[in-house]
Amino acid sequence: MNGAVVWLHGDSLSPTDPALLANPVAPAIFVFDEPFLAAAQLSFKRLFFLYECALEAIAGRTGSIRRGVVVEEVRAFAAEQQATAVHVTASVAPRFRQYVAELRASGLQVVVHELPAFVTWRGEPPRRFSSFWRRVAAEALRPTGTGPVLPAEHDVE
Amino acid sequence: MQLRTDLTTRAEQVAYLAGALDGLYAGPATPAPIRGGRRAALRRLRAFDARGYARTRNDVAKRGVSALSPYIRHGVLTLAEVRDSILSRFGHTPDTEKFVNELAWRAFWQLVYAQLGDRIHQDIEPAKQRARVARRRLPPEVIEAATGLVCIDESLHELYTTGYMHNHARMWVAAYLQHWLGVDWREGADLFYRHLLDGDPASNSLSWQWVGSTFSHKPYIFNRQNVERFSGGEFCARCPLASGGCPFDDSYENLALRLFGVSLAELEGRR
Repeated sequence: MNGAVVWLHGDSLSPTDPALLANPVAPAIFVFDEPFLAAAQLSFKRLFFLYECALEAIAGRTGSIRRGVVVEEVRAFAAEQQATAVHVTASVAPRFRQYVAELRASGLQVVVHELPAFVTWRGEPPRRFSSFWRRVAAEALRPTGTGPVLPAEHDVE
Repeated sequence: MQLRTDLTTRAEQVAYLAGALDGLYAGPATPAPIRGGRRAALRRLRAFDARGYARTRNDVAKRGVSALSPYIRHGVLTLAEVRDSILSRFGHTPDTEKFVNELAWRAFWQLVYAQLGDRIHQDIEPAKQRARVARRRLPPEVIEAATGLVCIDESLHELYTTGYMHNHARMWVAAYLQHWLGVDWREGADLFYRHLLDGDPASNSLSWQWVGSTFSHKPYIFNRQNVERFSGGEFCARCPLASGGCPFDDSYENLALRLFGVSLAELEGRR
């Protein structure tokens, strides 16, 4: 057993998610976080939007969308796929850090991928956006490429 | 529990998910008109014309905004690729620079969230001014979008039915709830978070704190003139309170005094 699975979460739900791109054939999973959602009681619109994003993100590979306890479902999926490593894209959410720690504690290797940076920043942010902007504006306004290939005008649903 | 991924039409997916996620959502099982997924995100990005953005972005009627926030919030599009696409297609202009500046707000909120974690859901700083109105819970007329104020009700109705609200309207509603009604910002933020497709803990809670002055140097207020100007007069033209009783129909000087008991200069921290 040395395979990998990709865990997709609500902060990175794209077919171009860095963890997915780094593992082009790995099975992928997205979990509707049952304890969190049962307490939060979001609108159905939000959950359906996530579902549509997740369906597209996992298309073309072995994929699974589940409801349950995130860490338990990811562990079960890794076991089903005979994987020992979980690849995931970083999030700043405290719940993400907690889940990564729990997955590691369960014996899985967790590899965290970073999103392409918008600006580089080290240390604590200032307390006001205006000071932040003054310090990052030049970099923020410097493109690193031409962006994604956009669909043709006639490509509508 | 494994969910189905083989249904092809949106209607089938909606009907299925409504049952499969039973107990995990509140309200009707209707989808937003805004579609999820990378393909829809790229279509939206292609459709956005940044020319005129600096002038029209605050106009609730003209809608000069990109409406990309649901996709950016869920990582379907990254800030970097949106920036790159807009600059490469429209060049460096005051409009695209303003747009990138708005993208940077999200980067800023995320850095604050990384630093403070769940403490973003508590007052980050003491309020610079507190409204004089008695504190109260979120009133039913807000939940029902039936306050009688067309600018507020139509903005709330859009939120409840589409999962989206224009940024300027968010500022009006957030200020109205906090400074006119006396609702704690956490209750308002919770309401928005439950409905907004772009609902993000950091952007949402920190923006509510920005309006309330617990993460800014002054409370944000607005008046009728602002609503008229940035809605093309549409809301007020249909509002039964336009001819009398509009709580926003006053000068900023008078509103500062009425709502906070201070002069406008004091409200803005100028003395």
